[in-house]
Amino acid sequence: MTPIQIAIIACLVGLASFVGIAGATRKIARPIALLWLVMLLVGILATLDPNRTTVIARGLGIDRGTDLLLYALVLAVLQGFLIFYLRLRKVRRELTILVRRLAILEAPGGSPAPEPTDCTEQP
Amino acid sequence: MIPVFNESSVIADVVAEVRSVFPNVVTVDDGSSDETWDVLRRNSPHPLRHLINRGQGAAIQTGTDYALAQGAARIAHFDADGQHRLEDLVRMVKGVADGECDIALGNRFSGDASTVPAFRKLILRGGILFHRVVSGVRLNDVHNGLRVFSRRAAFKMEITADRMAHASELIDLIARSDLPIKEFPVTIRYSEYSKAKGQRWTNGFRILFHYLVARIAG
Repeated sequence: MTPIQIAIIACLVGLASFVGIAGATRKIARPIALLWLVMLLVGILATLDPNRTTVIARGLGIDRGTDLLLYALVLAVLQGFLIFYLRLRKVRRELTILVRRLAILEAPGGSPAPEPTDCTEQP
Repeated sequence: MIPVFNESSVIADVVAEVRSVFPNVVTVDDGSSDETWDVLRRNSPHPLRHLINRGQGAAIQTGTDYALAQGAARIAHFDADGQHRLEDLVRMVKGVADGECDIALGNRFSGDASTVPAFRKLILRGGILFHRVVSGVRLNDVHNGLRVFSRRAAFKMEITADRMAHASELIDLIARSDLPIKEFPVTIRYSEYSKAKGQRWTNGFRILFHYLVARIAG
């Protein structure tokens, strides 16, 4: 094994043990933890024997294993961006609800906002 | 109801002008970093404040909730930078009060449209066409900040978009409300100040992006 392989595998094993503990103590949902562990295992195997990725890539009609990994990486990054974007949006929206509610509570003669759902009782 | 963000130099005059006809002016300071809040506290009969800037859509919703809780019969949206004319607002409020419609919308293109800068006109026209296609609503000016709602219409306008996409969201809500709508010709005062404060045309694309994400992701 080359030094770089050792370093990468050490990182992946470290991550795997973190995910394993988090899954065992249910800090992460178990199916999610399992998915992570599988991905990390694939990473470890690909690092140990990079040529094997080429065999898989060929089976999928891609010439090089490197390309297969690159495609997988692009997809993973895009998915990560999407998840973070949606989460950020949710947090922003919750923040807005808080700020708006506070503005009304602090208003002169302030009272909590009515739930603007039912307008049938309105004149 | 006037949503306000960093308008300390003009907001006192705008509030005074509107107040001369409509005493119940609700102002929402949307987390301004200048002296806007101090000015509002001294000049506005109903000053509200967002502690953190949350965007015009959120400010409009806060003002609307407050006004409804105070028993408002009608709610008007009026821009803080002085670009709207009071006489246009008066006509629109009268239209809603007289039962001509539940939702009165300002239309800068049917009045003296010559005040609208040419390039801005082109971008706004694009927005109008877009809304015809996605919302099926036939309006002639979809991003005009001058609007008047009857109480029952205001209850139906629940804006969730924080930023400028709220104008597009409002159009969807208006289209779905099935309440009578009328467009009123209005004139926009494009002063150097309001142009500098106003939307840059590139924002049109940002608005489009946020709007589409909201339609898809909910």
